[in-house]
Amino acid sequence: MSDFSILEFIQQIINGLTLGSIYALIAIGYTMVYGIIGMINFAHGEIYMIGAYVGVLVITVLGLVGVDSIPLILLATLAMSILVTGSYGWTVERLAYRPLRGSPRLVPLISAIGVSIFLQNYVQLGQGARDVSMQPVLTGGWRFGPEGGFQVYLSYMQVLIAAITVAFMAGLTLFISRSRMGRACRACSEDRGMANLLGIDTDRVISLTFVLGATLAAVAGVLVSMYYGLVNPFIGFIAGLKAFTAAVLGGIGSIPGAMLGGVVLGLAESFASAYLQTEYKDVVAFALLILVLLVRPTGLLGRPDVEKV
Amino acid sequence: MNTFNRNILSAAVSAAILSLGGLAQAEDTIKIAVAGPITGPVAQYGDMQMSGARMAVEQINAKGGVNGKKLEAVLMDDVCEPKQAVAIANQIVNQKIKYVVGHLCSGSTQPASTLYEEEGILMITPAATSPAITQQGYKMVFRTIGTDDQQGPTAGRYIATQVKPKQLAIIHDKQQYGEGIAKEVEKTVKAAGIKPVLFEGINKGQTDFSALITKMKKEGVDFVYYGGYHPELGLLLRQSKEQGFDAKYMGPEGVGNKDISAIAGPASEGLLVTLPADFSADPANADLVKAFKDQKQDPSGPFVMPAYAGVQIITDAIKGAKTEDAVKLAEYIRKNSFQTPIGKVAFRDNGDLKAFEFVIFEWHADATKTPVKE
Repeated sequence: MSDFSILEFIQQIINGLTLGSIYALIAIGYTMVYGIIGMINFAHGEIYMIGAYVGVLVITVLGLVGVDSIPLILLATLAMSILVTGSYGWTVERLAYRPLRGSPRLVPLISAIGVSIFLQNYVQLGQGARDVSMQPVLTGGWRFGPEGGFQVYLSYMQVLIAAITVAFMAGLTLFISRSRMGRACRACSEDRGMANLLGIDTDRVISLTFVLGATLAAVAGVLVSMYYGLVNPFIGFIAGLKAFTAAVLGGIGSIPGAMLGGVVLGLAESFASAYLQTEYKDVVAFALLILVLLVRPTGLLGRPDVEKV
Repeated sequence: MNTFNRNILSAAVSAAILSLGGLAQAEDTIKIAVAGPITGPVAQYGDMQMSGARMAVEQINAKGGVNGKKLEAVLMDDVCEPKQAVAIANQIVNQKIKYVVGHLCSGSTQPASTLYEEEGILMITPAATSPAITQQGYKMVFRTIGTDDQQGPTAGRYIATQVKPKQLAIIHDKQQYGEGIAKEVEKTVKAAGIKPVLFEGINKGQTDFSALITKMKKEGVDFVYYGGYHPELGLLLRQSKEQGFDAKYMGPEGVGNKDISAIAGPASEGLLVTLPADFSADPANADLVKAFKDQKQDPSGPFVMPAYAGVQIITDAIKGAKTEDAVKLAEYIRKNSFQTPIGKVAFRDNGDLKAFEFVIFEWHADATKTPVKE
C-alpha cells in the first residue's frame, strides 16, 4: 500500500455515499414498518428487486420507442416503478400480513419470509432466472485533480442518486411531520390501540406505510438499474440484508436513523475496501453493527422518545 | 413465455416422459444424465453443455444408437450450486442412471463427484476446471476440458512475457473456480519475477466495485487478471471505464460468453480471455458445425464440443468394452483413446486429459472474439 492520498480519500467518500444512499432508501421501508407494527418485513428486499425490474423494462421500452430525453426517462420510469412497486407493497400487506394481525409475532415473520421466496420465484418464472442487463442511460461526469495523476471522478449518475435520495427523504420527512396522514402515522407508531380508539383508521395507516416503504424501494430500484444496469431475481436478498443492517445500525424504527445507518454502512464498506482488503468489507460492516449495538443497543439514533414511524 | 421457460418446461416434460417411458422400456434405452445450470446466473454455460450433449445423443441415435439401444439425455438443473448439485446427484442415483455428463461449475462438480464415486456412476465433466476434482483419487471421474493448472499458467505466461505490466492486480470471486485459477496465475507470474500489487477477493453477486476500482487506480494498476464468472467482471469492466480506470483486463473461460458484452457494452472491447481452442473452427468438425447451425445453435461456445465428446466417449466405451457396467467402462476409458470433436483424447490415471490446449482470445464489444498471437 503506497501513501495516503487525499484525492483517493475524497473519491472513496463519493463511492461510499452513493452506495449508502441506496442502502438508506431501502432501509427506510424496514424501519417504517417496524415503527408501526413492530414487525420486520423480510419481503422488502424483493419489493426493491421488483422496482429494479420495472426500471429496466421501462427504460428499455422507452429506448425502443426512441425517447432519449433523460429527465423524461427518469420521470416516466420513477412514476411507473412507484406505481407498480407500490401496488405490490399494498397487496403483500393485504394478503400476507393483515389476516395475521393480532397473531403471535413469529407468524407474520414466517409469512414475510414466505412472501419473499414467493416473489423471487414469481419474478424468476416471469422474467427468466438470468441476469437482465441494460446499457447506461446517463454517462459522463466531472473530473478533478492533476492532469495525468489521480483524478477524482464524480459521475452525473452519482450526483443524480444523491439528489433524488435527498429529495425523496425530505419529502417523506415533510409528509410525516406536517400532513394529516403523517400525524396519524406518528400516532399509530406511538400507540396503535389508542390511535384506533381515537378514530384513526389504523389499517389504512399500515397500508400507507407499506406503500410508502415500497415507493422508496422503487426509487432505489430504478436508481440501481440505471447505475449498475444489471438485475436478476435474487438481488433483493443481499440488498435487503444490507438495508436491514443499516436500519438496525441507525436504530430500527427511526427514519433519520435509517438514513444515517445507510450512509454509515456505505462509507464503512467503501473504506474497508480501500484501506484493508475488499474481502473484509462485509466483515467490517457487520463488526461495526455489533460494536454499535454493544455500546448503544437501540442503534445510533434509536431513542425511545425519538419520532419513529 | 421466453425461451428459458420453454426450456424448463420441455426439460420437465421430457424428464416426466422419460421416467414413464423408463418403466415400460427399461431395457431399450441407455440414459445419460446431463447435469449443469439450466437456470441461474451462469445458465448460458449450461446451454452450451446441453446443446453439445443433445446433439451427440441425436446423432448417435440417428446412426442406430448403441448396440441397438437408443440413448436418452436426462437434463438436470443444478443452478451451479453445491447443495443443489448434491440433490441432483441423489436423484441420478435414485433413477438408476449410470452415466453423467456434467457438472459444469467446479464448486458443484466436486461434491457431486463424491456421490458418483461411491455409487459407481461414471462422470465426465465437460467444463469444471478445478484441479482438486481429479486430485481425490477417484476412479469414476473424468473430464473433457483442461484444468486451471493448465489455464492459469497459459494466462500467467502471457502476462509475464507479452504484457509485462508495471502494476498487476489479481482479483477473484472467492469461489473454488475463481480463486483457484487466480492463485495459479499468481504463482506463474511470481515465478517470472512479477509481484502483483493487489490480490483480493470480491463477493459473488456484488454489484458495486467503485471502492476497489478507486484503489487500483490510485495504485497505478495497468493490468488486471480476474478469476471468476462474467456477471461480476461485466460490472467491474463497466464501472472501471466509467471511473476512467483504463487498465487492460484478462479472465478465464468463465467470463467468455456473449453476456459479458451485454453487461459491459463497449467496456468489453479488448478484454483478454483464455478459452479452449475454438473446436468449431477445426475443418474436421465441418459437418458437425453445419448440423448445429441447421438447428440454429451456436457450436463455438467453449463447452459445446467437450460435452459432445463426453457423450461420445461414454457410447464408444460401451461399444468397445461390450458392457454397460459403469465401473468396467471407467477402466476401459482410462486405457483407450477416443476420436472426438475435441481431437483424439486419452486420459491420465486421475481422469484428466493427457493434453489440452488453452488459447488466448481478445474479446470485442460485439461479443465476437479473435485469437491473439503469442
